[in-house]
Amino acid sequence: MKAFFTLVLLLLSHSSCATEQAEQLFNQLKPSLYQIKLIDKASGEKSSIGSGFQITADGLIATNYHVISSYALHPKKYRIEYLDTQGKQGLLTLQSVDVINDLALVKRDVTQVMPFFELSNATPQKGEQLFSLGNPHDLGMIVVPGTYNGLKKESFSERIHFTGSINSGMSGGPVVNKLAKVVGVNVATSGNAIGFLVPHDKLVKLYNAFLVAPPASIEQQMAAQLSASQEKLIAQIMNSPWQAKKLGEHGSIPIIDVPFIRCWGDSNADKVDALILTAVANCSLDENTYISGNFFTGSMEIEFRTMQAKDIGSNKFYHLYQQQIARAGAGNRAGKDNVTDYQCHHDLVMPENKAINNKSVFCTRAYKKFPDLYDVLYLSASIDKEKQALVSHFTIAGINQNNALAFTRKFMEAVSWN
Amino acid sequence: MELKTMPIAVEQTRGIIIEEVSKGHKLIQRHKFSQNKIEIGRDYHNDLILPDSHICPSHLTIEFSDGQWQITDNQTVNGTTVEQAQQKKKNADQHIINDGDVINLGKSQLRIRFSDHKVAPTIPFSPFDNIIDVLRHPVVLCLSMALFAVLAGGIFYLNSPKDVNFTQFLVSSIKMVLGFAFWPAGVALVSHLSKQEARIMAQLGVSFAFFNLMWFSDFLESVTNYNSASNSMLPIIVMMLSIILAFSLLWLNAYIGFQMSAKRRTIVAASITALLFGGGALVQFSNKPEFNPRPQYNATLMMPAFLMASSNSVDQFIEDSSKLFVKANEQAKEQ
Repeated sequence: MKAFFTLVLLLLSHSSCATEQAEQLFNQLKPSLYQIKLIDKASGEKSSIGSGFQITADGLIATNYHVISSYALHPKKYRIEYLDTQGKQGLLTLQSVDVINDLALVKRDVTQVMPFFELSNATPQKGEQLFSLGNPHDLGMIVVPGTYNGLKKESFSERIHFTGSINSGMSGGPVVNKLAKVVGVNVATSGNAIGFLVPHDKLVKLYNAFLVAPPASIEQQMAAQLSASQEKLIAQIMNSPWQAKKLGEHGSIPIIDVPFIRCWGDSNADKVDALILTAVANCSLDENTYISGNFFTGSMEIEFRTMQAKDIGSNKFYHLYQQQIARAGAGNRAGKDNVTDYQCHHDLVMPENKAINNKSVFCTRAYKKFPDLYDVLYLSASIDKEKQALVSHFTIAGINQNNALAFTRKFMEAVSWN
Repeated sequence: MELKTMPIAVEQTRGIIIEEVSKGHKLIQRHKFSQNKIEIGRDYHNDLILPDSHICPSHLTIEFSDGQWQITDNQTVNGTTVEQAQQKKKNADQHIINDGDVINLGKSQLRIRFSDHKVAPTIPFSPFDNIIDVLRHPVVLCLSMALFAVLAGGIFYLNSPKDVNFTQFLVSSIKMVLGFAFWPAGVALVSHLSKQEARIMAQLGVSFAFFNLMWFSDFLESVTNYNSASNSMLPIIVMMLSIILAFSLLWLNAYIGFQMSAKRRTIVAASITALLFGGGALVQFSNKPEFNPRPQYNATLMMPAFLMASSNSVDQFIEDSSKLFVKANEQAKEQ
């Protein structure tokens, strides 16, 4: 019993200590915290809000790209404003962005040297206590204590897994350690106190690049970043082992052995009255690069499906099979301002090893603002077995022509009957 | 000898035919007279009795003298007029009749023809008549409807994702037969309403024979789509076949159901075909969204038995696909 009380007391004292610490930190950092608002010029009202923090004495402020994305794409329609903790407002200018890591640098005019956040030069320890700052739902600046839980597993672009509740509006706010040094930037949440942060080194890199040479145009900077990111992604995918795996009874499909592509499976083996026995394997890069509210890129989905006729003839099997592949859609969201219509080509194709004969469809649409970036879609249906079928399908968003064709070639040659 | 002079001989042989015609000059009834004086009116002493209340009891007299027929209007209440080809109506009293004149009395029309009126040359039976006669034969008609029913039911079976029992098969094929029978029945009804022979059996026979041909052209279209790449012209050529079939069906429907000149029939059939296909394409074009987030591709699949074309290599496919990027870039620049 005594031990229990001691434990409770200990816990209480610890939590009160954490509260004190948070309060102290908040008061210390308050002057360098901002709410960032995007104002629609025509209506004069705010169209989106987020948080930001000053990282230099001369007024450079870091925030998320997605907080100011509308301005980056339509600079004539909006203006960016800040609101500091004393209620002062002012205009901000966009300096530089990192669309892949969802970061942006904006700048305010300063008349005198101002306090600012220091960026950490070390990554935190697992379990270390961190403090997330920001202005959730326009409710005022708050501080949220939480725990560092390492980098998110199976992720292509690095994100810190932060246990603590981050809410919308806190996006772009800093996350500091006990020494008040920035270790990350609030970026996303998946609810239930699971939050994600952009690691501080991404911000350091963006800031250093900005010091060397500020970007000539934000659009060109974004195009270059998107292009470099897909180059890195596809290089890694093409150079990783593609393991042949059995799907259904006779299908052989490639499973790309990279941690950030995760696969799931399903089948209708339990449905007694189904006319066709189907097994599906789905692999996807569970990541989206946010460009605007209705334009995401950087995603990748791969799907394989085997079908086996049970009590039906070949003719009926192929009729039902055709219905299965008639309506493939894009893997990412994009509107008419962002992309062209799809252009498609279909043909009968047999790889050199003659292990399978397919009807294959390849479609692509171009990005209007970013040169040599496309969304591609591939769909292939085997046509050489009377009562069996193997469908292979992928979509990749934001890829250049060479990479798209190289990946398609490798993919086509990796799918076969065994 | 004088009695045998030519004019008298002609007079005696020249009979007169009075045709009752509708407002649109369609023939209702035909009367042939050999006497030299014909009385026309509403009462029963007349040679030609017309039960039209706007006609007087003794309305008019047509009399032959000096080698000519002349009209005498008996001072009637509503008068009598004559209309000649491309001329205005004029008073018919004392009018000398020409072959083909139309006389208006009351609300009725009479057309006058002389017995030496030239008729059009005899039209020989066309091969179409022979084909139509075969197709309208009850046995042939039953066979082609049965074939249609089996095909319709078969397609229902092939496209149904679940098991199909015999009742479902039967119901769906009967539904299709009844649905498709509306077309020939409708055409027959229209010809009946326009005072022509309905000829429902012929319409049914021809229509169902063509519906079966259309199934076949559909099948042919699927086979070509299945076997050809997207840059092939073949599917377009096959699509022409269905247009030709539709035109032929409409042409035959008109041939059976309506009496009209060959030129007019061709124009009517061609216009309806153009309306069907062109109008369909127009509606599709006008409904086309400004931007389509979904790819449009042809995913026709058929069982391996229908696979006739040889496959291309992966290299060829990649090369053909690379051309799409050029097209997409062009589109991106346009907007």
